[in-house]
Amino acid sequence: MNFETLLQTLVFGFFVGSLYGVAAIGLSLVFGVMKILNVAHGELMMLAGYVSYFVFSLFGIDPFVSILISIPVLFCVGLLLDRLVYRRIHLLTGEAKIKNSLLVSFGLSLILQALAIQFFTADERAIQASYSGYSLTLGGIILPYTRLISLFIIFGVISLLHWFLQRTITGKAIRAAAEDAEAANLAGINIQRFYMLTLALSAALSGLAGSLVIIGYGITPTVGVVWLLRGLIVVVLAGTGSIFGTFSAGILLGLVEAISSTLFGAASREIVGLVMFLVVLVLRPQGLFGKKG
Amino acid sequence: MLEVKNLGVAYGDVRAVWDISFHVNVGEIVVLIGPNGAGKTSTLRSIAGLQPIVAGQVDYLNKPIHQPKLFTHAHELVSQGIVLVHEGRRLFGSMSVSENLELGAFSPQARKVKNRTLTQVFEMFPRLAERKDQRANTMSGGEQQMLAIGRAMMGLPKLLILDEPSLGLAPLVVKLIFDVIRELNQQGMTILLVEQNAKRALALASRAYVIEQGRIAGTGTGAALLNDPNVQHSYLGGVL
Amino acid sequence: MNKYRMILVVLLAAVLALLPMLLRRDDLINLAFMVLLYICLGQSWNMLSGFAGQTNLGHSAFFGIGALVTRWLWATLELPVMLAMILGGLAAAAFAMVIGVPTFRLRGAYFAIGMLALGEMMHAVIAQVLPFNDTLPVQLIAGYSLAMRYYVALILTIIILGFSTWLLRKPISLGLFAVREDEDAARASGVNPLYHKLFALALSSFFGGVTGGLYAYHQVSYYPQSVFGGNWTLDALLITYIGGLGTVIGPVVGSLFFVALRELFSSIFASFNLVVFGALFIVIVLAFPGGLVELLRKFQRGR
Repeated sequence: MNFETLLQTLVFGFFVGSLYGVAAIGLSLVFGVMKILNVAHGELMMLAGYVSYFVFSLFGIDPFVSILISIPVLFCVGLLLDRLVYRRIHLLTGEAKIKNSLLVSFGLSLILQALAIQFFTADERAIQASYSGYSLTLGGIILPYTRLISLFIIFGVISLLHWFLQRTITGKAIRAAAEDAEAANLAGINIQRFYMLTLALSAALSGLAGSLVIIGYGITPTVGVVWLLRGLIVVVLAGTGSIFGTFSAGILLGLVEAISSTLFGAASREIVGLVMFLVVLVLRPQGLFGKKG
Repeated sequence: MLEVKNLGVAYGDVRAVWDISFHVNVGEIVVLIGPNGAGKTSTLRSIAGLQPIVAGQVDYLNKPIHQPKLFTHAHELVSQGIVLVHEGRRLFGSMSVSENLELGAFSPQARKVKNRTLTQVFEMFPRLAERKDQRANTMSGGEQQMLAIGRAMMGLPKLLILDEPSLGLAPLVVKLIFDVIRELNQQGMTILLVEQNAKRALALASRAYVIEQGRIAGTGTGAALLNDPNVQHSYLGGVL
Repeated sequence: MNKYRMILVVLLAAVLALLPMLLRRDDLINLAFMVLLYICLGQSWNMLSGFAGQTNLGHSAFFGIGALVTRWLWATLELPVMLAMILGGLAAAAFAMVIGVPTFRLRGAYFAIGMLALGEMMHAVIAQVLPFNDTLPVQLIAGYSLAMRYYVALILTIIILGFSTWLLRKPISLGLFAVREDEDAARASGVNPLYHKLFALALSSFFGGVTGGLYAYHQVSYYPQSVFGGNWTLDALLITYIGGLGTVIGPVVGSLFFVALRELFSSIFASFNLVVFGALFIVIVLAFPGGLVELLRKFQRGR
């Protein structure tokens, strides 16, 4: 294999890794702040993919523009899910809370999958925009425009999120609730409300990720678990400390998968991440999902 | 201002507070003393809206805020003027001093006058002004306690509740903290204080209550309790 | 046991034994088989996740290994099917013992997602290594009898339920419960959590594997990766939780309910049963941790 092919593989690994990063940031936000493991996160992405698919196929709205629809839609879905389901888990603490959140969101992912199969059929959907086939070629390396635009949008959104969490009073309140919910409550912060906002933000991120997935890759009703596992792997690798740390770990996973699929064949791509996941999980069972360091 | 009537608190099946009644008048410093595990912290947590109560009633400004079927959350009480400085300080450790103070003024009315309150806090604790960009968990215990009180001040309390503010601090810092409490009281803030350092606390108190095994075991003015032989024996290290 | 219950049990046994003759139709016998298979699946999952409290989201790995090994020993090497199933169960248990020590360093939800990853990994590996459809040899298809499958399933169900009942009367089950309630407290009172968890895992994986073998015995043809699908874990979890986690009767109630609901909705709204099941599951986790069994009991007492 020549150098160019390797580089090309790595570039595609980088692109897909950026999406792993976004999926993981949504998961880790909810886990870090609410101590809830939302395994329905992949299904939320799936839902967002269908939102983009239908506004494209029914109204001809450009898939990148449709993000402006899928993000608010998923934000509202997040608000709704918190009201209906997750709010009841907030009453629990510690291990019981994490475990119950896992089970409940497992049930939720089942419902969302079944509904998607019923209403959207099990066929794979993808969006072919007029410019989908075009790409930039740099020194023999192909950079499809869709992927470049995706990457650009991702950078924009996570920078915005970083700014929001670090600089605004609302963001600081979310971080305070993450660090010590009782102390935040004593400072006058309505924890329930900020938990709700956090879940909605996470769902909005899955909205972004899902729309980008259907542009670049394709969606089926059962695709959720694939993205969920990628997200979990990244969260386990990076912890819940920083947005950019999680994002970098996403890229890392994308690159490792790309390298492994060139070395050991395409099928190893699914396995290598899971092996990393199990190794990290077993090597640091306590520090898992903890702060960095 | 605050009236606690036959309060009962439980964690699951474990009862922490059996029957506690006391009151705090406007402008007073009321002190609760008692051994570890007597239910002092549970009492304060319940009043501040962190822990639902199972019996009795708590009134604030002549209105019930807690009953077994009525629970007012801490953030609502903060906007009504009840602020608790929790045992162990409970700062946002990874955030800066300024951020901690900013979050203390989260309620709408406190946010409006944030800058003015901040000046007052920095006047009272010049150390915090010097360290305003430092991460809270890298500061000394004394500085952290100043920040905890400063953060509470940012919420514009009418009733400031302090749980063990002097715990684990050096004697000089303890003196500083008690001076601050006295000054805040002189500025018109009503104080409810739980302290291990019973001698200092009683010296400061308008009135005090002794709590044992989840019940009130005695009450009187600070001076009276200081001279009570039983109190001396149990909480003041025997001989003065 | 009073006379009334005795008569009921004898009657039930007779009905179950004669069921293929009574039902006559293949599709109905097949439904009865599926109920039994799900009882075995649910109960095997229950041994680790219910009795010992270790929520296992990778049970499909044990089911799959049992299925593959049984199929190979029975269809290719022509061993008697019962023996093949037992060996399939042992293979699953051996695999479980290898992965058990490292994965039990994880607790609670972390164990759950660790096992989820493991299950998905096995799924991916098998899809890669054994990509082709596996159909029974002609002579086995020629002699295929659904009633026979039903009886094997019935025997296995009786063994699993009987064993669980017996197990819950043994002192070791107290150790399992102690680990389930609070691992640290259990250790403090002299119970070795790792030993108890490995014990429950061994039983759970063995019976899970045997159940996989039962499925392999039943299917004329399947893709090997399909027996490693996450749906086997999911079904076991739903059935057990909805029926009643940590009880012997729970998976029985859950399976009956599961298959009945699936049949009921299959003609109108294909995946609606999963929507109902998912919703019911959430309600049960949040509000009625005892499941349907507990609800029925309450209802009875209330009457």
